[in-house]
Amino acid sequence: MIVAAICFFGIAGLCGTYRLLVGPSLADRVMALDLVLISLMGAIAVDSARRNDTTYLVLLVVIAIIGFTATAAASKFIEHEHDQSVEVAT
Amino acid sequence: MTTIANSLMLLGGFIAILAGVGVLRFSTSYARFHAAGKASPVAFLVAGVGAAIELGASGAAHLVIAGGAMVLTVPVGVHLLFRAVHRTSNNAHLVIDELAPAERVSKQLATDPHQRRQK
Repeated sequence: MIVAAICFFGIAGLCGTYRLLVGPSLADRVMALDLVLISLMGAIAVDSARRNDTTYLVLLVVIAIIGFTATAAASKFIEHEHDQSVEVAT
Repeated sequence: MTTIANSLMLLGGFIAILAGVGVLRFSTSYARFHAAGKASPVAFLVAGVGAAIELGASGAAHLVIAGGAMVLTVPVGVHLLFRAVHRTSNNAHLVIDELAPAERVSKQLATDPHQRRQK
């Protein structure tokens, strides 16, 4: 049952990976990367419960903060790049 | 107790699959953000509650910190991406666009500092 839960998180991560590779825009890729990271976090939590081992739970906090930093920086980059291309065009 | 924890973790995995299918199948960027940004924190929270039941107090502390960080940051990140897409793409096809008037006001305030003082 627990292994099935890990597999479910893995399937969600694969869906996100597809969108990460195919995604039409840069924002889609960033969002897909966020989904992959969250699936990884869920899989780590469930795997810790399966092995009854709290060693890797520290990773969850780190991944959450890194994911937010990546998303915020990427969205600022998307806006900035668009502004510059508009200035060049006019 | 183990049955409850296992069911919660399985439910979390199921919600994660829903988020993944939404990201895979929806047609517009806004709809994909909606699916990924709302369902995936819920998936992690449900699975985390199950894992916390299984692990006891020391594991639950880490999971509470991680879940709290996630609930605080994921909606903010999705909102930032959403706004970036709204600013950089053509929104003429949207039926209801409640962000456009606010964006116009904020752009006006950014370019004209005198108007800000008068208001």
